[in-house]
Amino acid sequence: MENGMNMHPPVTPAIELRHLTKRFGGHTAVDDVNVSVPSGSFLVLVGPSGCGKSTLLRMLAGLETPTEGEIAFAGKVVSSGKGGVVTNAAARDTGLVFQSYALWPHKTVEGNIDWPLKVAGWSKEDRAARIDEVLKFLDIEPLRQRYPAEISGGQQQRVAIARTIGPRPGILLLDEPLSNLDAKLRVDMRSELMRIHRATKATSVYVTHDQVEAMTMATHVAVLKDGRVEQFGPPDELLLKPQTTFVATFLGTPAGNLIPVTRQGTALAFRDVALADAALAPGQAEAQLLYRAQDITIGRREGRPGIRARYAESAPIAGQSMVTCLIGDLRVTAMVEGFFRAEPGAEVDLCFLRDPDAIFNAEGRKIPQ
Amino acid sequence: MTANVIRPGALHRALRSQRFVPLVMVCIAAILIIVPLLRIVMLSLTPEGLEAWQAVVASPLSSNLLWRPIGNTMLLGAGVAAGCLVLGGFLAWLVVLTDVPGRRFLGILSTLPFMIPSFAAALAWGTLFRNERLGGQPGYFTAIGIEIPDWLAWGILPTLIVLVAHYYSLAYTMIAAALSSVSADLVEAAEMAGAKRARILFGIVLPVVTPALVSGGMLTFAGAVSNFAAPALLGAPVRMQTLSTRIYGMVQTGNIERGYVLALLLIVAAAALLYFSDRLVSGRRAFVTVNGKGARTKRFALGAWRWPLFVLATGLGVMTTIIPVIVLFASSMAESSSGLFSNWTLHFWIGAADPQIAQGQAGLFRNPLLMDAIWTTLRLGLTVAAAAMALGLIIAHTIVRHKGTFLGNLLSQLAFLPLFIPSIALAAAYIAMYGTSLGPIPALYGTFTLLVLAATANLLPYAVQSGRAVLSQISNDIEESARLTGAGPLRRMAEIVLPLAIRGVFAGGILVFIKIVRDLSLVVLLFSSTTPVLSMMAFNYAGLGFMQFANAITLVILVICLIASALVHILQNRIQGWKTA
Repeated sequence: MENGMNMHPPVTPAIELRHLTKRFGGHTAVDDVNVSVPSGSFLVLVGPSGCGKSTLLRMLAGLETPTEGEIAFAGKVVSSGKGGVVTNAAARDTGLVFQSYALWPHKTVEGNIDWPLKVAGWSKEDRAARIDEVLKFLDIEPLRQRYPAEISGGQQQRVAIARTIGPRPGILLLDEPLSNLDAKLRVDMRSELMRIHRATKATSVYVTHDQVEAMTMATHVAVLKDGRVEQFGPPDELLLKPQTTFVATFLGTPAGNLIPVTRQGTALAFRDVALADAALAPGQAEAQLLYRAQDITIGRREGRPGIRARYAESAPIAGQSMVTCLIGDLRVTAMVEGFFRAEPGAEVDLCFLRDPDAIFNAEGRKIPQ
Repeated sequence: MTANVIRPGALHRALRSQRFVPLVMVCIAAILIIVPLLRIVMLSLTPEGLEAWQAVVASPLSSNLLWRPIGNTMLLGAGVAAGCLVLGGFLAWLVVLTDVPGRRFLGILSTLPFMIPSFAAALAWGTLFRNERLGGQPGYFTAIGIEIPDWLAWGILPTLIVLVAHYYSLAYTMIAAALSSVSADLVEAAEMAGAKRARILFGIVLPVVTPALVSGGMLTFAGAVSNFAAPALLGAPVRMQTLSTRIYGMVQTGNIERGYVLALLLIVAAAALLYFSDRLVSGRRAFVTVNGKGARTKRFALGAWRWPLFVLATGLGVMTTIIPVIVLFASSMAESSSGLFSNWTLHFWIGAADPQIAQGQAGLFRNPLLMDAIWTTLRLGLTVAAAAMALGLIIAHTIVRHKGTFLGNLLSQLAFLPLFIPSIALAAAYIAMYGTSLGPIPALYGTFTLLVLAATANLLPYAVQSGRAVLSQISNDIEESARLTGAGPLRRMAEIVLPLAIRGVFAGGILVFIKIVRDLSLVVLLFSSTTPVLSMMAFNYAGLGFMQFANAITLVILVICLIASALVHILQNRIQGWKTA
């Protein structure tokens, strides 16, 4: 879980969460979260809806108080469940981009950017200069005098970001900022956000349910499920060395296949087909094997195990086909060179080209090899 | 920006505490609403009070003091609620769900009758239908030789008609709002499922608007039960008493304890009925707001009935808005009731005293009392509107932000409690509370302050409701994003919340203003010669038989209300240019 801890140099982390917990009544929204990232990182909190990622972000922004545990920015505790010490939301040098943008509808684009600077006590000249700067930076200069209701969703998004980075926060928090945009705009905005991150050098925390966003943008990813961190680390590490079946099936395009197996003699077998050596899962009667889509194909191969399945659908990807088949209720994704089509329901042979990538116990935890 | 860690001291902590604001608000609401009620209960338990209980509930007098009035009150409440639902429901259906011509026009026309105070309608009724039973000037019909039977001139039927004419637009507004939330998708989904028109109406549309029907019935019932003007003008002269006219009578004749007892009984009766009908729908309320915005509604084709129904609806609107106003106006210009539309004179408005007419009374605008009353009424309206809206906005904000907490729920209950307290009973409670000096508080009876306090308490539910509507347009995100900049609560209020809320605040304020300017049932008990208000002047003139003066003053009230509405309309368009863009 905390295997990311040893990868950064022994400097004070920009953000450190220690045993962070938040309960609403009897419901635990965030449960014992421990994460720390160095200055300038891009931390992505990813997980399905209801996993606690937005609550976590709101605690970082100072909009919620933790029930237990601590949040420290650059070594200073800003929120603490026990001590009741809270640096108020405004004084913690963070900026938050809301999912709904939360632009003030009665202020123009310029007014929206200006107001936080005014509140922070900037002089008139400084404000004017900064407004010009961020308007130019986000390429929304012509919209200066418009009201939020008069501009498009993508433009509102840019204004929301401009407003947030205006006062130069040390930490930039983003709550599903792309979820209200259409697919094309989302891809453009993704690179735009990375450009902004590089230029501002602000440590960023980004909440999303979209694992593609996490994989493309993050320097650090925390996968959350039911309020707990399933795994924390750089995106590549999570992809290559998933510690739980949840992470293995949540990340990656296409996601990894999990094949449930039982010990049969010296082998781990699925429906009497021996797939792996039982020694890989010592002391386990049941296990789950992780196969990447590219490690499974269609058609028999000499010396490799195969299973009969029913063809369901296929989608072409970069000259290959991603083919989904059903074995009973189990969905398995395989890759085939070129285009592959078949009658839905037709019988095909799935072939496992390599040994499993990883082996998990019945509870979904990785069995160390 | 630096991260400064705040370590609050005890006082600081109390001020910053999550509970501080709701606690203060609960206290204010309790002082305005609960304490007077407790006081009236306490006073009714003194030896004099217990004697009054005895007289009211169990004595040879009680049939006259309590049972007959309560019977009349409930009959009026039920009749008015039924009448309003039928008329309001019909108009709402017509305007929202059919292709009747002139839908916008009918929609506006149907909301207007509520603008006309019930005593204006009652006075207009008297001007037309009064017969010779009580002597004095007869009404128009009698004067031109048409015999008007007693049951049409006086008592429960005319009271009922006048109240329905006044309150049906309230039912219309609520039902129309609910109906327009029935989106075309819902109706079309039912059509796709093969349902016929009637099936759709009873299976889909009606269930969705049931909560609005119950709420509409509830509010019109409450309005009718606590109404004072109509029964006082049309019923009391022939001894058709309701609880409100009885309370007034008791307080007037110095039987103040009996008044308290009757006020308590009126509160209990009204509250019990409202409470149970509220229970009836409380679980289902939720789906009224399922898709808050009625984007597109499906209209049924009326075919040959389009024009007849249009004429019917227009007739209804005209009879309950324009005709009463015309009658009042004509009467204020007519020397005698038979010549309502001839021999007009401006005497009642600006004439000098003349022993030949109106027992030597000079015209209204020569009457120094009137100018005084106009000024007091305006001052009262503005003060109450400002006080109620300020309080309403803060309370609504507190309720929304502390939703689900004990204090939040308590505050919400308290703020809406006055809906269950008929205003004449609330006025009685305020007399009980402030009639004599109470510790450091001097006796406030007869003062402007007391009127303001009582009116603010009385109208608090409307103010809180307007406040809520206003705040619902300001999302949590918008306020939080302002909070994150470091702006303090006052600054956020002034620069973010208020500019966004201003339109709703004005609308709510004007509602409160209009309600208090034309109120009679509250001021009738709290009025004194140092606080002359227009509605009270009109009522007194009517009591003395000077119908022309009463009608003229009523017109003045109407004009003030109209100017107020127009003003707010202009202001709204000025202030929120960004909204229309």
